[in-house]
Amino acid sequence: MNPMNRLELYTEMVRIRQYESRILQEYHADKSPAWDIGAGLIPGEMHLAAGQEPAAVGVCAHLKKGDGITAPHRPHHFALAHGVDMNAMTAEIYGRTTGLCKGKGGHMHLFDPENHFSCSGIIAQGYPVACGQALAMKRKGTDNVAIAVAGEGAANQGAFHESLNLAAVWNLPVVFIIEDNDWAISVPRSDSTATTSNADRAAGYGIPGVRVEDNDVEAVFEAAGAAIDRARSGEGPSLIEIHTLRLWGHFEGDAQAYRTDLETVDERDPIPRYAAMLLESGELTEDQVQEIAATADAEVDAAIQFALNSPIPAPEDALLHVFA
Amino acid sequence: MRLSAKVGIIANPASARDIRRIVAHGGATTTYDKLNLLRRVMSGLGAIGVGHVISMADRAGVMAGLAQASTGPSAKEWPTLEFVEQEITHSAADTTAATQAMVNAGVGAIVVLGGDGTNRVVAAACGDTPIVPISTGTNNAFPRPVEATVAGIAAGLVALNPCCRRAGTYQAKKLEVRIGDRVEHALVDVAISSDDAVGSGAVWDVASTSELFLCFAEPGSIGLSAIGGHVQPTSRDAASGLHLLLDDASTTRVLAPIAPGLTATVGIGKVSVLEAQSAVAVESERGVIAIDGERMLRFGPSNRPTITLAANGPVVVNVDKTVAYASRNGLFVSPPGSVAASGHQDKTALTNQQSAEP
Repeated sequence: MNPMNRLELYTEMVRIRQYESRILQEYHADKSPAWDIGAGLIPGEMHLAAGQEPAAVGVCAHLKKGDGITAPHRPHHFALAHGVDMNAMTAEIYGRTTGLCKGKGGHMHLFDPENHFSCSGIIAQGYPVACGQALAMKRKGTDNVAIAVAGEGAANQGAFHESLNLAAVWNLPVVFIIEDNDWAISVPRSDSTATTSNADRAAGYGIPGVRVEDNDVEAVFEAAGAAIDRARSGEGPSLIEIHTLRLWGHFEGDAQAYRTDLETVDERDPIPRYAAMLLESGELTEDQVQEIAATADAEVDAAIQFALNSPIPAPEDALLHVFA
Repeated sequence: MRLSAKVGIIANPASARDIRRIVAHGGATTTYDKLNLLRRVMSGLGAIGVGHVISMADRAGVMAGLAQASTGPSAKEWPTLEFVEQEITHSAADTTAATQAMVNAGVGAIVVLGGDGTNRVVAAACGDTPIVPISTGTNNAFPRPVEATVAGIAAGLVALNPCCRRAGTYQAKKLEVRIGDRVEHALVDVAISSDDAVGSGAVWDVASTSELFLCFAEPGSIGLSAIGGHVQPTSRDAASGLHLLLDDASTTRVLAPIAPGLTATVGIGKVSVLEAQSAVAVESERGVIAIDGERMLRFGPSNRPTITLAANGPVVVNVDKTVAYASRNGLFVSPPGSVAASGHQDKTALTNQQSAEP
């Protein structure tokens, strides 16, 4: 397994958090009226992943060139952790021609062929795609792996079950990640799901299933490393369910009136907790905390500037690049 | 006289889901399996005459499933069921709070579904209330293999009948671990590793383990204690434990199953008996300490742990011994004495505290 570099894990989590925080700010800055999701410089719905950084960073720390990720509608953390270019991604979110999909996909449709990264607003639909990627990797004789990411609500979709079955039958190098953030939009697991952990469902398809409980980047790192090593060495698929935290709403503008756990959300934020641990052990200094935040800030600033300076697609190009 | 008509149940909803499903071949004890075991426990408890069960609350499906099952037709003979009113944190604190509530409610025994780790947490809070471990964990040295129905019967016998409690229980040893101001207890093993991280918790890489403190070391066991069990067997009844220094360069090597489906050949540096009440400091200046298979925290020179073997661990129900005693005394036969056996029957055992020891 890769040796763990705590400072790198921390830095990447801060980078993602800074990105999500700035997008949150920019998204709301010019929404007028506030309920019109089509208004403003960032049009469309926005699903931010603050609080879920340990999942993306712990998994992606093990990936290399040629490995693939299919992410869901809340994709930014996995995109950034997997090395998707921040400028091109931001331009896509802003709907600019320099974006990953020339501004026609938006934040839920970030496609980066170079890094084998894609995402989709259709729940659980990254799972079958990851199986396809994994089949290609296997047939080409590479040791690459495909990572399929979905939320706990998505695991009630047929695509989830079909994919686990197919991956098991064909012994594919795929690692299924479930980010369990307790809320499928506004629905708690107990209202929608007969089993209590998708580790149990993995067992039903004859593949190993693990649940990581604490939204702790080092715990995710170790479990994901074991699953990815297993897949690379031809031992087949496995599933890791990460109990993570949705720090903000399902989408931006979500009042979260349904949410019974709001009071304790801030104290469960994984990044200050990790920083405190590293500060205490002396592996991180207050100066580094400032420096890492400032570096992330500057990178995000530049990406937003790049997006704002990029052209909006011309009306006559509306039908270009829409069909593959 | 009935000592207590109440029994507690702790079923860890999170057990058997850690990384050892990937790095070893740990089994998957699903929530469905756990509920099935609980149904059997409830049947056993009901059949033997326990009137009331208090069970831990959770939001991970065990409570909801058990509550639902208790309304079904097959639950007619079950004890009445209540759940502890507790804040749910999805952590070991839930087990601690539930155990304390059960002790306060005066349960006569607590049935524990989990592995070594779950039993450790219950043991730290249960005082002298007997525990009945049923394995649903991964590496289970502490819980012995047992059928859940029979475990329910034994738990009921111990809760209802002081003679069964005397005959069927024993006091386990424990390891007291002092790390700075913190005190932890282990029921099976304390492992010191050169790992730099707590990671996902479960211990699975023996290569980084440098030192082992063992409450008991039984051949035929699984987990780190099996290393000791294959070098110098030490029973759970013995007064002493075992202390091993592992040394990868050593020419003395021992084969042991350290996790399900995972065996290792481990270099043995030094083996010594761990005497009771004698504090031993760990050799390493820094590393990670794992307690009953869970990597718990990193330590350095300023909080180097010391380990002490103590005789006052939890009171544990030996299911076989309990039902054997009950059988010898005719407690399963009605009307009492209607089956004349070997003459060892104590027909008054269920109602008389002064009945014979086995």
